[in-house]
Amino acid sequence: MSRLLPLSSCVYSVSSRLLWRGSPSCSPLLTPSSSGLLCVWTAGKKDLIDLPALNEDELEEQFVRGSGPGGQATNKTSNCVVLKHIPSGIVVKCHQTRSVDTNRKRARDIMREKLDVLHKGEDSEILVKKKESELRKQEKRRKANHNLERKRLFKEAQAADSKPGNDAV
Amino acid sequence: MWRRCLSAGCRRFGLKGIWGSHAVRRCSAPALPAGRITALQAGDLWRSHFVENGVTEPDHSTHYIIAYLLGAKTIESLEQGKLTELLSREKTEQMWQLCTKRLSRMPVQYVIEEWDFRDLTLKMRSPVFIPRPETEELVELVLRDLEETGVGADEQRTCLEVGCGSGAISLSLLNSLPQLKAIAVDQSQAAVDLTRENASRLGLQDRLQVYHIDVMKDAETFLSLCSSVSALVSNPPYLFSEDMMTLDPEISRFEDHAALDGGKDGLRVIRQILTLAPQILSSPGRVYLEVDPRHPTLIRRWVEANVEEMHYVETQQDITGRPRFCILQKEKSNKDHKLDLD
Repeated sequence: MSRLLPLSSCVYSVSSRLLWRGSPSCSPLLTPSSSGLLCVWTAGKKDLIDLPALNEDELEEQFVRGSGPGGQATNKTSNCVVLKHIPSGIVVKCHQTRSVDTNRKRARDIMREKLDVLHKGEDSEILVKKKESELRKQEKRRKANHNLERKRLFKEAQAADSKPGNDAV
Repeated sequence: MWRRCLSAGCRRFGLKGIWGSHAVRRCSAPALPAGRITALQAGDLWRSHFVENGVTEPDHSTHYIIAYLLGAKTIESLEQGKLTELLSREKTEQMWQLCTKRLSRMPVQYVIEEWDFRDLTLKMRSPVFIPRPETEELVELVLRDLEETGVGADEQRTCLEVGCGSGAISLSLLNSLPQLKAIAVDQSQAAVDLTRENASRLGLQDRLQVYHIDVMKDAETFLSLCSSVSALVSNPPYLFSEDMMTLDPEISRFEDHAALDGGKDGLRVIRQILTLAPQILSSPGRVYLEVDPRHPTLIRRWVEANVEEMHYVETQQDITGRPRFCILQKEKSNKDHKLDLD
């Protein structure tokens, strides 16, 4: 198995320390607490509005910190984000883009989807959408077949009626 | 399947050998394979080569180059199976060209000539400064304030950026706020050119003016650009001169030192920006700075003693928890107060 295959993990350089950054007061509750900090980060997907909002207090984010002052003094390209939802133990890893900020937002979108599935099961947004999409496809297929059948019958009727000399349709 | 090159002997000579003690070690690339190989195999080969030659981030470097080669941003976002497809001859040669550049410690961003900053992909070109991930947070801070003031959609606001580099900050702000206009300056012509190029590529050139100005040497011209901007943003050179000597070769060999060196205490350009800020900002306009973690306290003290019209609002941390951003606000002057009372 090649070492290059990323599997589901990010590679960190040996010299850097992993930093878990989380709120000092982590609520063990499963549902977002109304007294906690509710933060909705989206990467611009409008249909995620129905998903549960995330409570930042319940999340821990992993960053590769490195030694030294960071900022202009360093040019590290590791920007994979690992997000952990403490109450449920769900971990999301995101390295879809080369922007840490975007990866953080997308990780949160994915987390919201996963929490939705966790809470609502069959009724979760993802599964409902999948079902709707399937139904639409089935309907399309049915209509297409229906139209093909009608055309076929029409042509057969045509062939039966036509005589030499008639105007072609 | 491919021939192992002779360059493994490169390190045996050592620096003091043929080239003398100050020479840059020249490492040659492995030979191009005779037959076709997959991206995965090419990656493994080059990864080992990077490790052998002390190139930092061997995995990340290889991953980004392969992803770029195959039309994606990251290897994780590649279609399944693409990695195990045989590369064309052309792609193999391209892989070799790109990786050879990385072998010389050229930053990946310059190798593939692009990088992402928030939701934008920008062109990169040496020696123009490569945007750092921390700076994405700076843009968020400015947006938070500009969005909060809840001004009407038709109100024209302008922001000004000192030291725009590739244009990351200004273009990001313009992209997020359709009503915003921006002015960007840089002492480097290369930076000015690159910012203009990125602006065009993103279709934002109509709302951005870029000027080649050195705020240290030509304050007058700088002040004549605009007299009432809502926000002054900057990621100015803020490294301490002594820290310039311990930079990785990726930075010291390829990035503009003038974009990094902030003088003995790293505050040279920052002081100038804060001195000029009151004349450029509207009231209550804000200055947003990215700085070295040792700076916030120093800046607060210095401003209190030297710039009457600016008051220190707050320090914000970056994603690694280091104090990284300073926000200052232009005070209403006594003259303004009098006018209010009348």
